[in-house]
Amino acid sequence: MNWLDYLDPMLQGAWITVQLTAYSTVFGALLAFAAGTGRLSRHWPIKAIAVAYIEIFRGTSLLVQMFWLFYALPLIGQALGFDARLPPMVAGVIALSANIGAYGAEVVRGAIQAVPRPQYEAALALNFTPRQTLWRITLPQALPEMMPAFGNLAIQNLKDTALVSLITIADLALVTERIRNLTQDSATVYTLALLMYFGMALVLAALMKLLAARVGGWRAR
Amino acid sequence: MHDDNPRRALRAAVALLLGVLLIAPAGAASLDEIRQRGTVRVAVANEIPYGFLDFSGNAKGVGPEVAAAVLKRMGLERIDWIATGFSSLIPGLKADRFDLVAAEMAILPQRCREVDFSSPNSSYGEGLLVAAGNPKGIRGYADFAEREDLTVAIMAGADQLEMLQALGVPQQRMVMIDANADAIAAVSSGRADAYAATGLTVADLADKGRRVEAAPEFEDPVINGEPVRSWGAFAFNADADDFRAAFDAALAEFKQTDEWRAILERYGFSDADLDASFARSTEELCAAE
Repeated sequence: MNWLDYLDPMLQGAWITVQLTAYSTVFGALLAFAAGTGRLSRHWPIKAIAVAYIEIFRGTSLLVQMFWLFYALPLIGQALGFDARLPPMVAGVIALSANIGAYGAEVVRGAIQAVPRPQYEAALALNFTPRQTLWRITLPQALPEMMPAFGNLAIQNLKDTALVSLITIADLALVTERIRNLTQDSATVYTLALLMYFGMALVLAALMKLLAARVGGWRAR
Repeated sequence: MHDDNPRRALRAAVALLLGVLLIAPAGAASLDEIRQRGTVRVAVANEIPYGFLDFSGNAKGVGPEVAAAVLKRMGLERIDWIATGFSSLIPGLKADRFDLVAAEMAILPQRCREVDFSSPNSSYGEGLLVAAGNPKGIRGYADFAEREDLTVAIMAGADQLEMLQALGVPQQRMVMIDANADAIAAVSSGRADAYAATGLTVADLADKGRRVEAAPEFEDPVINGEPVRSWGAFAFNADADDFRAAFDAALAEFKQTDEWRAILERYGFSDADLDASFARSTEELCAAE
């Protein structure tokens, strides 16, 4: 038994980690935009929902949220007479994306607020509708501002996926534990796991960089 | 893109989510439902030799191998093995995440109030993992009650906690570890002076770690005038009565075979352990004080 034998099961676990990261980063980004723009809404119910969402998910532990969705929600469902057993992957993706979405919402809000006021005044003077202002004035300037922070959040999200090993998902962290349990070869197993997470983070950072170049490309012109 | 699209997509997503929530009825799966599904969800806690997953994700150990044989006799051959922390086993059963726990969990009265147990599958005694050479001369669980300079590690959710409490070991001399696999590191690094676990777990860990050993002159802890012995069994959701009854009947048959003896002996259980597994009933153990 040497480290080459660890690779196959660990790569299978890493693939689960990649899927979790992909889903939760995409859903998290959608939530971030919804809550970030919702927070700036003139309609108070939308604003209230956005603020409540952001504060609740930022202010409670991700680990506890996962346990709650996985072990507590089904009990509440039983008491109320419906089946609330989310599949493990669904519970994991919901908790991860809701969390990263709450952090991302503040990034979105900050970037939108950083667009200079005269830009909005000019849009108003030119008779842009609110929707046109959002798509043609606000977002093209705000998006490039968001990208460095989003890059951070995406990598944070990748590393947070390790927590899903506690709700029975066989991701890289769980497979690492399993192999260590079998071999007690902690040094090799954990070093390999670190390198795999690092490799995934490098790829993710590169992807975010490409995306940043894409949304900020108009500035170079 | 047409303006209605996001709204329609949102509506579809909400409908889908509600659909997921509402499809199946609540509570534990009945035997019929399990048969219909064709797959049994069995949880293990990664503790060698009681139940663990090997490299390829196949479940090994006394619990899983007996469970697989018994389920096969019931005509259920497809098993979905789920590995989780020991302290998540009972919550997972209650939330209907698994149909069955095959971790040779000891039958204890406080656990009987939460979940239902099959009849005992195995019986085992206690052990103690110490640093190689046993520099502190630890001989048993009672030492931690008497000597202030010692600390003992236990796994979160394991019944050694109750044993140590019964012997009067104060909380600050106990170190909680998350998983069995942390024990060697905890003891060899000196974070704890010993790891309290079952005899077979300790034997396996002592075998794997070079800087640890099983306490050489270990004395079984005596609680209420009797040396401690545990009876490991399969655990079920408290509502899964027909599945448990069918499993119990098949288990009783299987325990009469040489195949059953071979599985337990392969993992280090002695003849005395095998005989002892018939000595108590689940009702007796659940009613014990």
